[in-house]
Amino acid sequence: MIKTVDLKKSFVGRGQTVYAVDGITAHIQTGEVVVIIGPSGSGKSTYLRCLNGLETLSSGHIYVDGVDLAAKTTDLNKVRREVGMVFQQFNLFPHKTVLENLVLAQQVVRKRSRSEAEAKGRELLKKVGIAEKEKEYPNRLSGGQQQRVAIARALAMDPKVMLFDEPTSALDPEMVGEVLEVMKQLAREGMTMVVVTHEMGFAREVADRVLFMDQGKLVEEGTPEHFFTEPKEERAKAFLKQVL
Amino acid sequence: MNNNSKNMSWQLLTLVILVALGAGLYVATKKIDYTWNWNRVPQYFIYHHEVEHRVAADGRVESIATSGKKSVVTYVNEFDETSMFTVDTEHLNVDEGEDLFAGDRVGSSFSWMAGPLLKGLWTTLWISAVSSVFGILIGLITGLCRIAKNPTLRSLSIIYIEIIRGTPLLVQIFIAYFFIGTVFNIDRLVAGVAALSVFAGAYVAEIIRAGIQSIPRGQMEAARSLGMNSAQAMIYIILPQAFKRTLPPLAGQFISLIKDSSLLSIIAITELSKSGREVITSTFATFEIWFVVALLYLIMTLSLSQVIAWVERRLAVSD
Repeated sequence: MIKTVDLKKSFVGRGQTVYAVDGITAHIQTGEVVVIIGPSGSGKSTYLRCLNGLETLSSGHIYVDGVDLAAKTTDLNKVRREVGMVFQQFNLFPHKTVLENLVLAQQVVRKRSRSEAEAKGRELLKKVGIAEKEKEYPNRLSGGQQQRVAIARALAMDPKVMLFDEPTSALDPEMVGEVLEVMKQLAREGMTMVVVTHEMGFAREVADRVLFMDQGKLVEEGTPEHFFTEPKEERAKAFLKQVL
Repeated sequence: MNNNSKNMSWQLLTLVILVALGAGLYVATKKIDYTWNWNRVPQYFIYHHEVEHRVAADGRVESIATSGKKSVVTYVNEFDETSMFTVDTEHLNVDEGEDLFAGDRVGSSFSWMAGPLLKGLWTTLWISAVSSVFGILIGLITGLCRIAKNPTLRSLSIIYIEIIRGTPLLVQIFIAYFFIGTVFNIDRLVAGVAALSVFAGAYVAEIIRAGIQSIPRGQMEAARSLGMNSAQAMIYIILPQAFKRTLPPLAGQFISLIKDSSLLSIIAITELSKSGREVITSTFATFEIWFVVALLYLIMTLSLSQVIAWVERRLAVSD
């Protein structure tokens, strides 16, 4: 589904070049749930943002469904409609109602009719459990509700992959559960998911595979049982000691 | 004392100060021996215009058909040509069968006509409205160029903004009229509207740029992650939000534009302030006319800010 080959992403600031992502090669299979964990500043989010072209690559290749994101001829907009993304800060459109948030891109990008897009939007709002809020504006909703709307908004485009960039980090603790529940349901339905998170419980329960990143490099990868019980690398051991 | 009555007493003080200022003005004008002629002002808004109807050649009044306030006079001249005159019955000067000589008055008709002040007001209104529309268009395009990735677009828009903001509007109007107007042979009205639009455009561009940059980056990223291209994201996501934030400064800009349009009098466009000056030359009611002109500008600017405040309240539903 997604192949990354020797991916590098550097930022230039104050005369120095910093590699946020430093040579990652990893593949994500269709239907797989991959959780990326690691300390702050390890490049997890940057890596995730590269996967749908929000960051331009410095070198290396990303193939989404066989399409090379690094190639000049690739239409990134076409790739992005197949790759849904959920942000830490929700990023709902505050000037649109909840339902319009779901409808807009369907109409503009997928060229669906208004009624078709609304039907799809209502169905997804029901799925994430906030059908009754469709006429509210995002600012009236709690953080957890906003994040569930954001997930529904991404799903409305019928993506083949869903990327989650720390979806629960900006939430009050009591709202984390409702968002994770929606994500677990998605995983059960067989959605391909790449999740950057600090929720170790979620990683252990839902992930098919865990990637551990540090300083822009992929340090260790494996099944959750392997990673949480007998990690090989020292840095992974040190990290787990801190968070568990 | 509770809050409410405290507030009341302060308002009372405001009122006392205003009344004192008014009384001061009154006393001051008493001292300079100025005769106020407020009754001469209304006729320069609207007046009853008399049109005299005279015959061009000798002849005879054939018939007079009176219906209410209007009468239709049928007149046959010496060359057997028939002509009709519609006059007010009250101001009918001829009888049926009467012989008339060239230049004789058949009668008069009256109609209400807009006076110079009303015409000037209208000119100011439409010039400001047209300049605002073009100002927004120029400002929007320049504002987008100002934040574009292309260095040429960026530099050109910065140069334009700096030149316009760094020179007086009066000088720009002169250049637009005398230089550009002469070179391209354009009308003074076109030159005036162009000067105002270009001037407003530079300020609107900066307002719009600030508005767009005040929208969090995540909005653009969310739109792009849904597959929208940058133009779609701008149109559907960024600009509507930026518009809402820029409404108050934009309102200020357009209020300035209404007031700045008075500078166009310098290239002989008869807008409100020039009309005022023309009326003064024939009435010598200097004080009255300038107060009236000021009041008319105030009415225009206050109405505009009311309209904008209403739009702002409408857009506030999503907050």
